[in-house]
Amino acid sequence: MTLEVDMRGITKRFPGVVADDNVDFSVNTGEIHALMGENGAGKSILMSILAGLHQADEGEIYLRGEKVAINSPLDAIESGIGMVFQAFKLFPSFTIAENVVFREEPTHGPLLDRAAANRAVAEISERYQLAVDPKARVDSVPVGVLQRVEIIKALYRDARVLILDEPTAVLTPQETEGLFNILRALRDDGRTIIFITHKMKEVMAISDRVTVLRDGKVTARLITAESSAEEITHHMTGRDVDLTMAPPQQAPGETVLSVKNLTVTDQGERPVVDDVNLEIHSGEIVGIAGVAGNGQVELAEAIMGLRAIDNGRVAVQNQDVTQASVRHRRDAGLTYIPEDRHGVGTAPLADGAANLAMGHHRRAPLLRSGLLKRSRMVWHARRLIERFRIKIASPATPVGTLSGGNLQKIVVARELDYDSSVLIAEQPTRGVDVGAIEAIHRELTTYRDRGGAVLLISAELSEIQSLSGRILVMFEGRIVADLDARDVTEKQLGYLMAGGEQAVAAS
Amino acid sequence: MVIAFVIGAVFIMIAGSDPISGYQSMLRGSFGSGLGIANTIQRAIPLVGMALAIAVAFRAGVINLGAEGQMILGGLVGVLVVLYVPGPPLLVMALACVAGTAAGALWALIPALFQSWPGVPVLIASLLLNYPARYFSSWMVRFPLKDPESSMVATDSFPAGTQIPLFASPSSGLGQTLLNNLGKDNVLTIVGRTVNWSFAVVALLVVAVMFMNARTRFGFESGMHGFNANFARYSGVHSGRLTAQTMLLSGGIAGLMGVMFAIGAPNNRLMDGQILETNYAWTGLLVALLALYRPSGVLIGGIFFAGIIAGSGAMGRDLSMSPQIAAVIQGIVIILIAFRVQIPVRRRRTSSEVVEARMEHDQAEEEVGRV
Amino acid sequence: MDFASLIDGALVESVVRALIPILLAALGGLICERAGIFNIALEGLLLIGAFGAVAGSYFSGSAFVGVVVAIASSMAFSLILSFGSITRRAEPIVLGVAMNILAVGITSFLLVALFDTQGVFNDPGIVGMQKIAIPGLVQIPWIGPALFNLTLLGYLALLLVPLIHIVLFHSPVGLRLRGVGERPIAAQTLGVSPAKYQYLALLASGLLTGLAGAQLALGNVVQFAENMSAGRGWIAVVAVMLARANPVATLGAALLFGFAEAIGYRFQAYGLPAQITEAAPYVVTLIALLFAAKYFRRGTVTAEVT
Repeated sequence: MTLEVDMRGITKRFPGVVADDNVDFSVNTGEIHALMGENGAGKSILMSILAGLHQADEGEIYLRGEKVAINSPLDAIESGIGMVFQAFKLFPSFTIAENVVFREEPTHGPLLDRAAANRAVAEISERYQLAVDPKARVDSVPVGVLQRVEIIKALYRDARVLILDEPTAVLTPQETEGLFNILRALRDDGRTIIFITHKMKEVMAISDRVTVLRDGKVTARLITAESSAEEITHHMTGRDVDLTMAPPQQAPGETVLSVKNLTVTDQGERPVVDDVNLEIHSGEIVGIAGVAGNGQVELAEAIMGLRAIDNGRVAVQNQDVTQASVRHRRDAGLTYIPEDRHGVGTAPLADGAANLAMGHHRRAPLLRSGLLKRSRMVWHARRLIERFRIKIASPATPVGTLSGGNLQKIVVARELDYDSSVLIAEQPTRGVDVGAIEAIHRELTTYRDRGGAVLLISAELSEIQSLSGRILVMFEGRIVADLDARDVTEKQLGYLMAGGEQAVAAS
Repeated sequence: MVIAFVIGAVFIMIAGSDPISGYQSMLRGSFGSGLGIANTIQRAIPLVGMALAIAVAFRAGVINLGAEGQMILGGLVGVLVVLYVPGPPLLVMALACVAGTAAGALWALIPALFQSWPGVPVLIASLLLNYPARYFSSWMVRFPLKDPESSMVATDSFPAGTQIPLFASPSSGLGQTLLNNLGKDNVLTIVGRTVNWSFAVVALLVVAVMFMNARTRFGFESGMHGFNANFARYSGVHSGRLTAQTMLLSGGIAGLMGVMFAIGAPNNRLMDGQILETNYAWTGLLVALLALYRPSGVLIGGIFFAGIIAGSGAMGRDLSMSPQIAAVIQGIVIILIAFRVQIPVRRRRTSSEVVEARMEHDQAEEEVGRV
Repeated sequence: MDFASLIDGALVESVVRALIPILLAALGGLICERAGIFNIALEGLLLIGAFGAVAGSYFSGSAFVGVVVAIASSMAFSLILSFGSITRRAEPIVLGVAMNILAVGITSFLLVALFDTQGVFNDPGIVGMQKIAIPGLVQIPWIGPALFNLTLLGYLALLLVPLIHIVLFHSPVGLRLRGVGERPIAAQTLGVSPAKYQYLALLASGLLTGLAGAQLALGNVVQFAENMSAGRGWIAVVAVMLARANPVATLGAALLFGFAEAIGYRFQAYGLPAQITEAAPYVVTLIALLFAAKYFRRGTVTAEVT
């Protein structure tokens, strides 16, 4: 069997981080190869080196036995490598066909031949049953379709090697199954698939072989059929991780957050949050499951007062805050871990002390006789850094230099230190390393056991299922189900997330 | 910096002069002589003030490009008060300062309100408002306020005692004492008879802004708003209100600078285009950017640029060249500095490259599936 | 005052005259905007172009050479912004402001150094551009003299509107340019270098502002005056924003400002002071922005609850 891809001794450093450390990675022609690892293990970086987005500091790459220099994405495309990134690299205002043919445009004289582009895309779409409309604008189609557009982009350039980076993060279980069928068809067509993931189940379901990375080093190369989930997990984490959570110690108490008939429209047009009702009690974690883009972010922002609402009421501990400012809502007991840590949850260029002081600066002990003082902020920061074990050089270090996990701990530390009654946690562990996941989950359950109420919004069904007492499913802006976490299966959640109501009846 | 002066030398040669004697006269005219120092300080006062006005706005992420108009209107209103309000001169002077400050502040408030509703960015609205202010003030000076007896396009001269007085004018007691004890060529004597009391006001302002930034809630919140407005809003800062307050402050300082420049001795009447020609607003913008919005940096940068202005003015006179050489050298200096240090608007220099690299790394590693 | 008498053929003519430099500069800004660079240096580029045009024309005795020199100087000047903002990743707003100051400085300085003049340089040695009347069409009342008796640059400016529209929306280069501006990272992963396209866009804006400067100094008038761009570059910046970087809408915006400027002159004839009418284009711009403001909100989720 020939080696389609052979990467030897790849090392890649970023300031303060070694992403990949002397990694050897090889893939056979015509196989589906899983690249496993925790967040931050270096798997995405390794693949973006293969795709020409980054250049390795050391190491060599061979394709079908020939040494190649991949210095740009163009080199990679010309060598037959296509990559589907997690954050899709598409032009929102372009049509699907325009996105696909970009830089390889069919022309008619000096002008674009849009008809030919549409035809080419339609052909590929039909051959692999991808069901996309070439003329649709990218910003008007659902996420699942975007992923197929990315696949078509690679196929249009005749990619022999297709890399997919965590492709299932944005899909329902059913859509994931559909993707797997497409991947199998592509493999049977003679193409090679590299599948980056950190989910055990997917590796077992689809891959022929698996390579495991940990902290930038290869810890195992295995044939999937001859291995076991336990073995791979062990190689991935290097220890036994316990992500199962302690159940709540007491029954939920009184209602602390109540949302009634909440409706939010997108610039006064389409409702993105549609007549949502929910109640959360002290001492419980309520999970919101749903495919990204079904109104979860807007719901959280509307509750916090960061987004104007069209209708509805929000009350915290029986205090109506519908008309209140963000600040008054915070005073009333709302806290919020936003999904976008860099853009909303922190000021990356400001230092640790300032980021941790924000919000707390309005009251004692930071504010004394109406004035702030740097030394008090530093003291406050040191206390939180210690309590949450944040790895930061000093309170004067800009937080943007921290890893995803430590940056998230800055947000979590600051929000939990309010000692509030309600916490909205949006994707609290996305993109953070496994150690930080454990720590954050522990903080959330501790907070719950102290009597806090948590609204947990997450794309990770496993996270929702292991932490929540109740699970709400959101689809197209509506809450379509309110379920007890103990008696719901992942499959049922998947159907509901895709808008299938029949699953409720079945359960 | 060296490159800037080399390029400057090329321009001096284009003008047909000797660069070395050019720079000598520049140094003499800025920091190397009593008169030079006096001239530099005189120019540094409005320059530091305007830079401070812009720095407080930019630090909060509010891009106020309308400081020029705010300064001009402030000056105009101050002059109106001085010319038409009767009363004890000192009180009139104080009232002029207050009125000018208010005029600048209110003019600056307009773009802030337009940003809140219907949503025109402050940057654009504040910029556009410069022009009505400029033309209106020019019209006022040319027509309604014009002194018919003067050949200059200027207002009547101000009533006695309403100017902001010099520290030690030659006729005052202090001026005499300095003259007698130190001699007429002493630095202090010259500075005393050239520089007026607005110096003290600006010095006070610098200290006040330092205190505000470091110790007050507003200072802290506006700094964080400048770093990341979304973060500030998320933390409970009302962005629209903060923007309005910031513009009031920024425009107020600019307006005050306008008054103090217009009615500060030795000026005793407002001439058409007098405030505009100095270009203090735009030079102040550059100083604020170079200082990374820190008051201490504004002070140093302001004095430095004032030196360049005074010095190149002197060079222009000595070698009979265009005083515009000052703008050339300033422009080149700022562009070269901008090339080197990626001056951030809404950001600061603090290891921003590392932060960017880190964010790039995280983006590659993070799982986000949005378009 | 009789308002109907304000509107006549001569007014239409002066509207077109006023709009052409603004249109050319705005088209330059539009290309940059599409490539994802906020070009706030149009004012300075325009001024440099005007100076280059006068200097070139004066020393060569040919208006054509003047135009070439105008293009060359503006393109060279635009390299400051390209190098700074693309290669060095400096803040384009800072660079733009500095360039505008520098442009005033350099041109006024060179005015003294080369021509020994301050304020206005007005010399029979400067050869202006001839207007070329298109026979027949020029006879059409009102529109004829306005649209069919222009300098070559005037015709070019008007033709550029559809041309740039076609290039942007119906050619591969335009597709890539817009892609680079919309999501540079996506373009990069497909092998299109954002830096290359951004450099090209800025050079194109140098070219267009050079033409705008030439039209201003060799077409509208035949002279160079200190700071003669007089805010037109800023108006062009606003026109691009107002038109959301759409060529046809940009023509509309430029028309609006041209009209404001022309009607302002006209009011002067009725005794309104020049200072007031000169402010008109800016006030009109601001009012237009107030009405168009909802477009600036697209994509932002900043509506606040008080």
